[in-house]
Amino acid sequence: MSGPEAPAARTGRARPYRGRPGQWAFFAHRVSGVLVFVFLLLHVVDVSLVRWPDLYDDVHALYGNVALRLFEVGLLFALVFHALNGLRVIAVDLFPEAVARQERLLSAVVAVTVVAGVPGAVVILWPFVEGRLL
Amino acid sequence: MSAEPAVTAPAEPVVTGRDRRRPGPEAWSWVFMRLSGLVLLFLALAHFAITHLLNDVVETDYRFVADRWSNPLWRGFDWLLLVLALGHGANGVRVVVGDYVRSPRARRAALGVLGGLTVAMAVAGTLSILTFEAP
Repeated sequence: MSGPEAPAARTGRARPYRGRPGQWAFFAHRVSGVLVFVFLLLHVVDVSLVRWPDLYDDVHALYGNVALRLFEVGLLFALVFHALNGLRVIAVDLFPEAVARQERLLSAVVAVTVVAGVPGAVVILWPFVEGRLL
Repeated sequence: MSAEPAVTAPAEPVVTGRDRRRPGPEAWSWVFMRLSGLVLLFLALAHFAITHLLNDVVETDYRFVADRWSNPLWRGFDWLLLVLALGHGANGVRVVVGDYVRSPRARRAALGVLGGLTVAMAVAGTLSILTFEAP
C-alpha cells in the first residue's frame, strides 16, 4: 500500500498523494493496526492466566477501572476504523469506480466509525456515568 | 539547458529467480491480508461486542470463560480469531517494519522479535484454548 512515489522522485514536484486525506487514512490504518496488534499480544497473555482462576479474575478485574475502560474505548474506535477502512482499501483495489470516489468513501468510513463508536463508548463507560465518577 | 541523454537500447529485463508472471510471496501476502481482514471484520467485531457491549467487561470473568469454552464451537471461534488476528497483525507489522527500519541489522532484529512474539502468543493462546478444562 505504498504511495505513488515514483513520479515525485523523477520530477521532484508532482506529489498527488501527499497531504491529501488518503495519506492520513494510510497513516491512521497503520497506527490503528499496530495498536490493535499490541493489545492482542497483551490480551493473549491475560487470557493465558485462565489456567489459574483466582489470578485470572484478579488481573481481569483491572479491565473494569476507568483508565482501562478509556483504553477499551480507544480499542473500539481503532478496530472499527481499521475494519471499515480495510473495506475501502479492498473496494479501491477491486473496483476502478471506487478509486474516483475514494475520498468520499473515506468520509463514510470516518462517519460510520463515529456513529458506531460513540454509542459503544457510552456503553463501555456507563458504570462511571451511573456512579457519577465521570 | 542540459544536453538530452543519448538514446540507448532498452536494458535487458532483470533476470530473477522466479517467473514474474506467477504470483510471488508478496502477492500471497496481499491476498491473505484481504481475505483474513474480511473474516476478522466479523470475528473481531463480534468478539468485542460480546465482551464489551452485550456483557460488561467485568462480567467476563473466569466463570464466563468456563461457560463459553464448555462449547467446542466457541473454542473454534476463539482459536480462528486468535490465529487470523495474529497472522494479519504480524504480517502488517512486518510491512511497517520494512518501510521504516532501514538498517539491515535493526530490521533483522525487529523481525526476529516480531516473529518470536507472534509464535509465542500463538502457542500460548492455542494451549489456553485447547487444554482448558471446565470446572
